[in-house]
Amino acid sequence: MALTPAPDPDGRLACGRDASAVWDRAAAGEPADAHERDCPHCTAAAADARGLGALVHRMAQEQPEPPPSVLDRVMVAVRTELRPHDVLTLPSPHGPARLSRAAAASVLRHTVDAMSGVRARSCRIEQVTDTFSGEPGHAADVRITVTARFGVDLASVTARVRQMVAAAGEQALGVPVRRVDIEVVDVFGGEW
Amino acid sequence: MTRADLAVAAPPVREAPVLDELDVLDEQTLVVRAQEGDARAFETLARRHQDALYRLAVRVMGDPAEAEDALQEALLDAWRRIGRFRGESAFSTWMYRIVTNRCLGMLRKRRPIPVEEVEAPAPAHDSPERAAERDAGMAALHRAIAALPDDLRVCWVLREMEGQGYTEIAEITGATEDAVRGRIHRARTKLAGAMRSWR
Repeated sequence: MALTPAPDPDGRLACGRDASAVWDRAAAGEPADAHERDCPHCTAAAADARGLGALVHRMAQEQPEPPPSVLDRVMVAVRTELRPHDVLTLPSPHGPARLSRAAAASVLRHTVDAMSGVRARSCRIEQVTDTFSGEPGHAADVRITVTARFGVDLASVTARVRQMVAAAGEQALGVPVRRVDIEVVDVFGGEW
Repeated sequence: MTRADLAVAAPPVREAPVLDELDVLDEQTLVVRAQEGDARAFETLARRHQDALYRLAVRVMGDPAEAEDALQEALLDAWRRIGRFRGESAFSTWMYRIVTNRCLGMLRKRRPIPVEEVEAPAPAHDSPERAAERDAGMAALHRAIAALPDDLRVCWVLREMEGQGYTEIAEITGATEDAVRGRIHRARTKLAGAMRSWR
């Protein structure tokens, strides 16, 4: 017959000890204190913990893995749910050109990632509104946050980021970049 | 040893995922990018966490096929809700909460399965070694876990199988830390009682 009495809803043994603490210590092989050695409730809980420990440990070693198809299915669904309406509309000689904002941001982030000592985090692209017509203008403003490798010259790095983002906007996206706001939000270690 | 024997005895080979430049990024950067609609950043996050999330699901559901469904739906939930993730808890804690809620929702809709029918769930890539390990004692433990009330089982799995702290489990389940401690101890006591004859 089990000696361990049903614990209170808040996890106290009948003797008042925190049942989880008694169990965790016993399962970890830590020695019992004076109370636990003499208390029948603590002794029973510790015996249960030790008795179940090997099987529980063995079960925890089982590492079932999901089939790769799960993530594949998720990503197919994710890509169909991408927001196609969130686009930049830019004038071009052939009529308005539509450019996915997320895809454009991805191109600019990739440009920054390719640089040494810096990684892009947030990248937001806002179309400049034409002052006179109030319509979307041809250029865009970029606000980008970056993390920089510890020890790099931040002034130099941000200057290069500004230059590279402006160039990528113009050359890769066909969008003149009027302004690039850069904020260094974190630092990282390592060589990358 | 014949070729057929080798085929049986060979351990499962899981293809290493193809690494890309996003794999070196820290979690916070990936989260921000995913929040801004970068599907590749989200895929990298999902790949990093999917094994742990699947383990949780398979142990809570007790059924690999249902665990797959729970993981799939939970990852889609995560994509749809990631804009609302504010970073108050670790991203993994947030993901555990989504999987837990999805599992509990599925369990509420599921017809009760007689405990006698519960078998030790086979890993997706089983091996003869692992199959041999799944002996009677382990099967009995799986049955005892399956017989636990859902809220007790979730807390027990998070603590004993995933090694989560009581504070994190309270965040994941939305219960108080005292309630979590109570549930875990009730689960432990029930399992110890059920397994006493196997010790």
